[in-house]
Amino acid sequence: MDIFRIIGIGLLTCVVALIIKQIRPEFYIVVVITGSIVILFMIVDELRIVFEYFLSIFNKTNLNYELFSNMIKIIGVGFLTEFANGICVDTGNASIGEKVVIAGKILILCLALPIISSLLDVIIEILP
Amino acid sequence: MDYSIILKIAAIGILTAVVSQVLKNIGKDEIATFSTLAGVIIVLLMAVNMINELFNAVKQLFLIY
Repeated sequence: MDIFRIIGIGLLTCVVALIIKQIRPEFYIVVVITGSIVILFMIVDELRIVFEYFLSIFNKTNLNYELFSNMIKIIGVGFLTEFANGICVDTGNASIGEKVVIAGKILILCLALPIISSLLDVIIEILP
Repeated sequence: MDYSIILKIAAIGILTAVVSQVLKNIGKDEIATFSTLAGVIIVLLMAVNMINELFNAVKQLFLIY
């Protein structure tokens, strides 16, 4: 957990991106993409630890594994959508970022359908 | 995945700008545009490699096949 390195790299990316924007405007967005990828890579390990912990808890319940993998996929879709939206907004065309966010939401909804149906089954069992 | 790649891309950007400027001064304008194009392509290839690496890590982590 080295938040200081993450902040340092984030600020370094902003400064380098500004400098490059003056010299060669086309490279501005590539520097932004690279910086965000480097930062995302730094948190992938922590995220894996969190998912293993949730998996151990989930194994105690007798639900089928597909619900858990769907939940993880939902988090993944949100993760990537946020990444793409940030970059689209940085280049100035927020409308494309908005489209990506809408598509991500619909994909998340599709992934959530099995979870919703299993929830309804549980509720139906509880009702007298 | 360390931060040096950000500086590499910045270095390539500055190098491309300098090379194209020098070529323009000599009078070879078309070669200058080619050098700029080459710099942009190299940097884009590096960026695509980075994105590919990120997507592989995400696929493995989020169980998205």
